[in-house]
Amino acid sequence: MTENSYRAQAGDFNPIIADHRIQGISRPSLSYWQDAWLRLKANARAMVSLYIVIALLFFTIAGPYIWTVDPAFQDLDQVSQPPNIDRKATLIKPYPIWDGSTGTVDVKDSETLYLAQAANTESVRLLWHVMPGAEGYRLYRNIFPFEQGQSMGLPLFTTFSPQNRLFEDLLDLTPRTFYYTLVALNATGQETSEVVNIAVEVQRVLTIEQAVSKGLVDSAEEVDVGDVVYLKLHPMGTDYLGRDMLARLMYGARISLFIGIFAPLIFVSFGVLYGSTAGFMGGKIDQVLMRFSDFVVALPFLLFMILFKIAFGIGPGESGVMPMLIAMVVLSWPSTARLVRGQILQIREEGYIAASRLLGAKSRYLIMRHMIPNTMGVILVTITFAVPSAIFTEAFLSFIGMGVAPPTPSWGSMCFEGIKTMLTHPHELIFPALLISITVLAFNLLGDGLRDALDAKMRSRE
Amino acid sequence: MSNPNSASISQLVWLGLGAVGAFFLLMLVLNWASASTSGEQSLGSVDYASNSITLALEQEPPQLDSSRSTDSVSGIILGHVMEGLLRVDGNNKLVPGVAERWEITSTGAKFWLRDNARWSDGSQVTAHDFIFAWQTVINPVTASQYAFFLYPLKNAEAINSRGMAMDQLGARALDDLTIELEFENPISYFDKLLAFSTYFPIKESFFNSTRGRYGSDADTMLYNGPFVITQWVHSAQLRAKKNPHYWDKDSIGLDAINWSYITADTTAKLNLFKDNRIAMVQLDAETLESALYNKWNIKQFADGTIFYIEFNHRDGRLTTNYHLRRAMQLVSNSSELVYKVIKLPGNLPGMSLFPSWQMGENKLFQLEYPTPEHRVDIDEAKRHLEIARQELGLSSFPPLVMLSSDSPTARKQSEYYQNVFKRTLGLEIKIDQQIFKQRLAKMLAGEFDVVMGGWGPDYEDPLTFADLFASWNIQNRGRYNNPALDKQVRIAQGSLNQAERMRAFGAIQDILYHDSVVIPNYERGRIYVVDPRVKGLVRRITGADPDFSRAYLVDKDSNISKGDSKVAAN
Repeated sequence: MTENSYRAQAGDFNPIIADHRIQGISRPSLSYWQDAWLRLKANARAMVSLYIVIALLFFTIAGPYIWTVDPAFQDLDQVSQPPNIDRKATLIKPYPIWDGSTGTVDVKDSETLYLAQAANTESVRLLWHVMPGAEGYRLYRNIFPFEQGQSMGLPLFTTFSPQNRLFEDLLDLTPRTFYYTLVALNATGQETSEVVNIAVEVQRVLTIEQAVSKGLVDSAEEVDVGDVVYLKLHPMGTDYLGRDMLARLMYGARISLFIGIFAPLIFVSFGVLYGSTAGFMGGKIDQVLMRFSDFVVALPFLLFMILFKIAFGIGPGESGVMPMLIAMVVLSWPSTARLVRGQILQIREEGYIAASRLLGAKSRYLIMRHMIPNTMGVILVTITFAVPSAIFTEAFLSFIGMGVAPPTPSWGSMCFEGIKTMLTHPHELIFPALLISITVLAFNLLGDGLRDALDAKMRSRE
Repeated sequence: MSNPNSASISQLVWLGLGAVGAFFLLMLVLNWASASTSGEQSLGSVDYASNSITLALEQEPPQLDSSRSTDSVSGIILGHVMEGLLRVDGNNKLVPGVAERWEITSTGAKFWLRDNARWSDGSQVTAHDFIFAWQTVINPVTASQYAFFLYPLKNAEAINSRGMAMDQLGARALDDLTIELEFENPISYFDKLLAFSTYFPIKESFFNSTRGRYGSDADTMLYNGPFVITQWVHSAQLRAKKNPHYWDKDSIGLDAINWSYITADTTAKLNLFKDNRIAMVQLDAETLESALYNKWNIKQFADGTIFYIEFNHRDGRLTTNYHLRRAMQLVSNSSELVYKVIKLPGNLPGMSLFPSWQMGENKLFQLEYPTPEHRVDIDEAKRHLEIARQELGLSSFPPLVMLSSDSPTARKQSEYYQNVFKRTLGLEIKIDQQIFKQRLAKMLAGEFDVVMGGWGPDYEDPLTFADLFASWNIQNRGRYNNPALDKQVRIAQGSLNQAERMRAFGAIQDILYHDSVVIPNYERGRIYVVDPRVKGLVRRITGADPDFSRAYLVDKDSNISKGDSKVAAN
């Protein structure tokens, strides 16, 4: 293409048709919220936390409709059971009161200590022959095998009469192996070195009547002695009174999340209103309002919680959740108020506010259009951080017995009960503690992610 | 940020590891700090250098004035620091205390005091100290809950409740060392009362110098027993050392006893025992498995205390209605409570107000007067409940308040009953858990519908239980008032004929069951572990229990481990 070779044509002098496509924005226009959502989505930590929070809400709200077990129902056949226990029980005839007879078992003279009947969870019936020189007997039970020279376990029964040679053990029989040890006592009641022991395998049984009354079978006609029935399922085990842990955790979550979500919502909205009024008005009013909030900060929470409980006439055995909520709301708003006031003071001096004002904007417009949206990030973050702290407060207060009344569960009170059996039945503590930890962590990480996402200065940055 | 997911995950992992590491470091620092600051003060469970032992108390004693104390914790402390005319020895036999010898007839008694009994300020324990203490107990101004303990003395009841002049009391000091008593009625068990704390002496001049604060602190008390309290930090600890003025000080094996921990938390006490901080621990169903695992020598002891549900019979309470009480009685099953809920060995299902070991005239009381047969009958209970509803004119029952103590066992028990009454009868129960002091106050004021009560025998006679529901007894928390029962109690108090008394106890047992006055829960058995280096611990049914006052330490060199049953079995 040289200069000489070009010849102008008529079409060259037509005006260019404006092609808006070229000047158009190549990517869709994003509102503040869409942008924040994009940035939040890029934050894996926050997203996982968000899913956890949603799952928790589902667990709390929908859970009890799916797992319809009464959290106050006491299944005394399965007390303090860990999850995944064998639930098989064999049906038996009603148990007559023992008259000391040997029943169907062949008595072997070679064994000093022997069972009168097959051992089961209804009773273990032991008999023994005379031991040389015995003026009395003491029977021990252990859950660990017998070892010479070691402790023999739990003393169940002592008699100072050598004729008394039978004992029926009814105490807390669970399907496991028990090791019984019989020690002969001398005339002064001291233990001698005459010791015999026996390992007893205990089978779980139920009488037909019990099975019907517990609703495990529909009627007594359907089943026969020797049939196997399954006890009620407890996927997360049971607590110290045989109550279903899963159902209790779901109901407990209601209390914990109710406090955890409502208290922050109420006190943060009040704090926003209070703080923005102070910040926007400024001057004397600001001084008075902020000094009052300083005063509220100095009030001790626990004391007020107790005072509210009394002022509300909450008697013993009644739930302390409402006074807890009110005490939290009344005493926790100042931090939000201070934060928002600071933001408003800063925004008030910005150039665009002055411009807006010069253009004739009213206060209402200024607040709604400029101030609230610009403080929104701070507010949302305050809420998400207030949620875990409120959940913790509830757990703590229920832990020290100021919260819910039995039998209502809450995660805190469940931890309180669980800690007593921490060594023997750890699941009673671990499950509620785990849920508190996960919830608190999820809300914290979500709040962290929201802070990044909602920060206006981060807008349209990757 | 090319791959934000993996970057943030690895960041999270590092943060987590960092947090765990920091936490671990903090624990180490704190552990070191606590070891270096408290190492000197806190003694082990057994300290050979000071010849002392350290123990834990269940609760803070409300006060230690023997004329007013009623609770078992005060009883433990008072049993170590005071001594009555008689005392109970390690075999539960009555032996001379301050009294050297005595004479009891059907009309009165006479006591000769030893001349070497001393108060902790060195002054002599005289007959006047006893007379003054007893006058204080029955003085209506003192309002002692245990005033009825002295009612066997002539005119004591009239002085206490009808304002008779104090000088009419049938107790006189003939001289400094002789006491003469007159009885109101012949009494067959008087000597058994004398070892109890209500009969302990109080020195008048010292009592008056404390201006009403007697027994509230270590220095507002005077002691005449084997130990003296040297330090009482309220709600924290009590320290006692051997009393140099005690007449029988040569038979006291320890130089000091420190009750350094006050807690009802059995897990905490188990850990203290495991760490060699306390010399004895009482076990419960939760801590039992750890004790078995640690292979400690577990011992068992039936302490004679009976636990039961009591109703409030004050005007305006729903529980004044017999049919409501009967309905609640018919659904309760003490066997299920004991074997499936409390799960503590040694506890026996409660059948009656009288314990199973109680002797009758010739054989066990239960064999002579069997307890009324009790069967759980839910349909019958519902029928009674319906009658009660109509009689009370209610459309439905409002919640009943169940007062209970705050111990783990009591909590379990009250939640169990809450569920039983709700499930079978549809009755709502509100549980009012209170600390010991507060529960006693509320029981006395009648602020309950139903209360989880318990009673430990004060002396070894069925009367200690039988008069609990007599209309005049201040320990009758529900103000149960039944002239038929009162009549039987009078017979049991006044008669010297054992057969007649046992018949009266049998009649009382029947009235209590058929009028649904109590629902027996259980007879308490204790299981406990003692540091094998401590010998001479006495467990007893009445008075101070556990009693370490004549305990001693075995030789340091015998080298016993806690699991060594060969040495520790006895």
